[in-house]
Amino acid sequence: MSFIDFLLQHSPALIVAIPLLGAFLTPLISKINNRVRNVFVILIILITTILVMLLASDVFSGNIHTYVFGSQDLTVPLVRILFEVDAMSAFMAIIGSILLLVSVIYSWSFIDENSGLDKYYTLVLLLAAGMFGMMLTGDMFNFFVFLEITSIASCALIAFWTNKGKAVEAAFKYIVISSLAALFILFSIALLYGQYNALNIAVLGSVIQFSYLDKIALVLLIAALAMKAGIVPMHMWLPDAYGRAPASVTIILIGATQASLYGVFRVCFTLYGNTINLSSASIGWIIVLLGLITMLIGVAMALIQSDFKRLIAFSAVAEIGFIFLGIGTGLTLFANNQMFGLIGTTAMSGGIFHIINDSLDVGLLFLVAGAVYYATKETSLDKMGGLARHMKYTTIFFIIGLLAISGIPPMNGFASKLLIYESTFQLNPILSIVAILSSIMLLAVFVKVFHSAFLGPALPKFNGVKEVPKTMLFAMGIIASIIIIFGLFPDLVINNIVDPAVNALINYSDYIREVIPTFTGGF
Amino acid sequence: MDLAVVSQAALITIIGAIGVTIFGLIFGLFYKGVDRKLSAHMQGRIGPPLKQPFLDVIKLFTKENIVPENAISWVFNFVPLIGLVATISIILYLPIAGFDPLLYNKGDLILILYLLIIPSLSMVIGGFSSGSPYATIGAQREMATMIAYEFPLAIIIISIAWKLSIDGVSNVFSLSSIIAAPIWSTVGPLGFIGFIILLLSLIIVTPAELSKIPFDSPEAETEIAGGLLVEYSGRNLAMFYLTDGVKTIVMASLIVALFFPYNLSPLLGLESYLAFSVDIIFYLIKILLVILFSVTLIRVAIARLKIDQIVYTYWVPITLLSLVGLICIMWDQTIMTNFGLEPLFKMIGLI
Amino acid sequence: MAIFESLLNTFETGSGFWNPIVWLVTILIIFLIIYILRGFGNKNYKINTEQVKPFLSGNPEYDKEKMHIKGSNIYWGFTESLKWIFDNLNKMHTGNTSDYILWFVVIISILFLVVGLI
Repeated sequence: MSFIDFLLQHSPALIVAIPLLGAFLTPLISKINNRVRNVFVILIILITTILVMLLASDVFSGNIHTYVFGSQDLTVPLVRILFEVDAMSAFMAIIGSILLLVSVIYSWSFIDENSGLDKYYTLVLLLAAGMFGMMLTGDMFNFFVFLEITSIASCALIAFWTNKGKAVEAAFKYIVISSLAALFILFSIALLYGQYNALNIAVLGSVIQFSYLDKIALVLLIAALAMKAGIVPMHMWLPDAYGRAPASVTIILIGATQASLYGVFRVCFTLYGNTINLSSASIGWIIVLLGLITMLIGVAMALIQSDFKRLIAFSAVAEIGFIFLGIGTGLTLFANNQMFGLIGTTAMSGGIFHIINDSLDVGLLFLVAGAVYYATKETSLDKMGGLARHMKYTTIFFIIGLLAISGIPPMNGFASKLLIYESTFQLNPILSIVAILSSIMLLAVFVKVFHSAFLGPALPKFNGVKEVPKTMLFAMGIIASIIIIFGLFPDLVINNIVDPAVNALINYSDYIREVIPTFTGGF
Repeated sequence: MDLAVVSQAALITIIGAIGVTIFGLIFGLFYKGVDRKLSAHMQGRIGPPLKQPFLDVIKLFTKENIVPENAISWVFNFVPLIGLVATISIILYLPIAGFDPLLYNKGDLILILYLLIIPSLSMVIGGFSSGSPYATIGAQREMATMIAYEFPLAIIIISIAWKLSIDGVSNVFSLSSIIAAPIWSTVGPLGFIGFIILLLSLIIVTPAELSKIPFDSPEAETEIAGGLLVEYSGRNLAMFYLTDGVKTIVMASLIVALFFPYNLSPLLGLESYLAFSVDIIFYLIKILLVILFSVTLIRVAIARLKIDQIVYTYWVPITLLSLVGLICIMWDQTIMTNFGLEPLFKMIGLI
Repeated sequence: MAIFESLLNTFETGSGFWNPIVWLVTILIIFLIIYILRGFGNKNYKINTEQVKPFLSGNPEYDKEKMHIKGSNIYWGFTESLKWIFDNLNKMHTGNTSDYILWFVVIISILFLVVGLI
């Protein structure tokens, strides 16, 4: 067996283990030198990214990877934890790894002036381990554990600028919300465990009955995970947290939020896959409607914000609405085979494609906001102006982000929104109309930012402002180039990355059959 | 797909791009002249000669191209170009003179909707980047107007696509499918009323899309001195002037394609070049009529609205109106299937 | 050649098309034409004269700070005419953690209703 095969076989474990071990090594290595520590962290994340890409390329070609911790003998119940990586997990892991890599490169200069950086990097790596764990695990209880790791690490990172009281307040709100969500998730796991004596998603998926208790568990799981994903009206912690955290942390938080979003879809499509015909119409419509109000309220609130990062946070909320709309449409039509083949898959690939586009677009804009903060020490839009004179590259990256998030061709946002508009309208025309409207309002939101931060006369107080350091520009450049490539070649992305993920969600029986080969349900 | 096919397609694209540029610029200015002449006659004036817009552009090209000190010069100079280029590129996706669009399988109605944003967006950014308070106020008004009219516009476009998808047309957003299956041909009485309402809404949306009176508060000469264009001069202003002309043609062609995609030549039984020339003339007349009703008549008849009135007009009355249109079309479908002519006849006992 | 072809593929959604590369090519051609056309125009102006001062209908120019319209004043007309919506939205966002949890409870109960447990 070659070394690559060996790596591939153990990669599900390594992707979580390497950041976790790196996290514990970071405080020791920071004793040597700051530069060595930074290089070490970037190296850890880079290795993880390479492993994710390696694993993903194999998973996209059709293999589902499982990795067993504990007893290999599958007849003995419950003495193992199972990681199961299908194309959807791999897709999410790709997003997470891109965001992490960009974040640590960006942090090099961005967070340089602060003290306590050994703790910062330790927490970043812990957050990485938790996030990848949530995406790759095949076990409900394990999912809960990683969710808690993610929450605690994020909470500490949100409060990283403790000298600003509002950061601590945001972190407090975040931890209250997260613990509440985690408790409800734990409770519903207990409900499932009590009935079926199993914690593994695949095993649960094969025996689930949609009994009274199952319904309660489903409702609690969806509500709690949707709250963690920032769905209106449970989104209010999100602008606080995103707005107060350092920009380099915010971009990882996007990944963590997406991991919760992934949880919603995994629960709806895989855990409850066997009973999906009973639940899909009602749950699907609820997800669609939540998506609609998320879009509308997200953009409406973003339009009246005057704080740069809070504004982006509200538009991030709105973007999640698009994802919910696309995937909810797919779920609604799941039981209707003919309609599903016609529009459900298109809507779902739009929604899933939008997950990656949303992370990149919003991530880029947060990095730009961080760069503006780095250069001017201002976050209020009312106090900025004329920065395009001093920060030409940042301005260009902002323009790319602006065009991408509002879906102006030829950026990536247009391709995924096109898929969503051109499928959801057949479920109900209002869905597409609201989506188009929200997209245009997002444009208005960011044109306002463009004016108030970058355009206008040269303000005397910003005379000394310089362009941000090269590492930050490089980090923004990575995301911007991915945005443009995705925008120019949407067909390639859809065929090679998105469609496998969509199929993984739809064909839940493959996921189950990987663990229980005798499973005969599903299609 | 071999090299010959690719190179042939590339050649068609290149020639088409050059062709639509010339077509768009010349006819854009020509219809601008016609519009000015007609509105002058409506107001009892003689009005400028038809070639006046051409002379205006030539005049602007000879004037100095001032970049004010408060402007961000690279944004300020670049956006007028982008606006004009994006507007011209829309023509490639529109059926001109009854022919299929040149890039009929490369872009669709949603793309046109988004490309139509770019010229307005470039005006907004140009206004903001000039760093003048007047221009800033004008630009933010233009953006607010844009959000306002985009709501009814989205309803109109999605309604048409929905109706076609119900009729079983494939590729409902593609313009070539839309002109091949005119919406009027399959509607019942209720749907007919619905589409008339949508057509009315689209005609009211058009002046705002083109920043014409009564929705021209972004430019409002009397209060903010030309608004977002106040600092523009010379060739940059000429770019915006041309954009306006081309955009007028684009909007008129869009209305024609969506609602009046009929050709005269099949009716007269003509063939070959005669048919082409008749269709082209017929198309130009259709465009003229659309511009007459949606631009000239409205702009002469109504006074300018305030910006909050514009937003209210579009978000409340016009949106409700187009929603009524949409509901009519949706009900038409259920009524036609459940209580259409055939079940009706059966009920009475004719069949 | 196969890779080259797949780069040129049109993106199909089932109801429409979008080919970014073709659009980009046409945009470049049109841009070139317009750029050349624009080149015929006069490109000069007098730097460092009254010409480059902003036009303010003859009013004097104040501090640059005052001449820049602040972010929160943008879109006045829009927020003014939809004031009732924005007022209610602002009222909804209290920033109070117990309200956040209240919304969570509301959503759970709605979901219970929809799934048919209550």
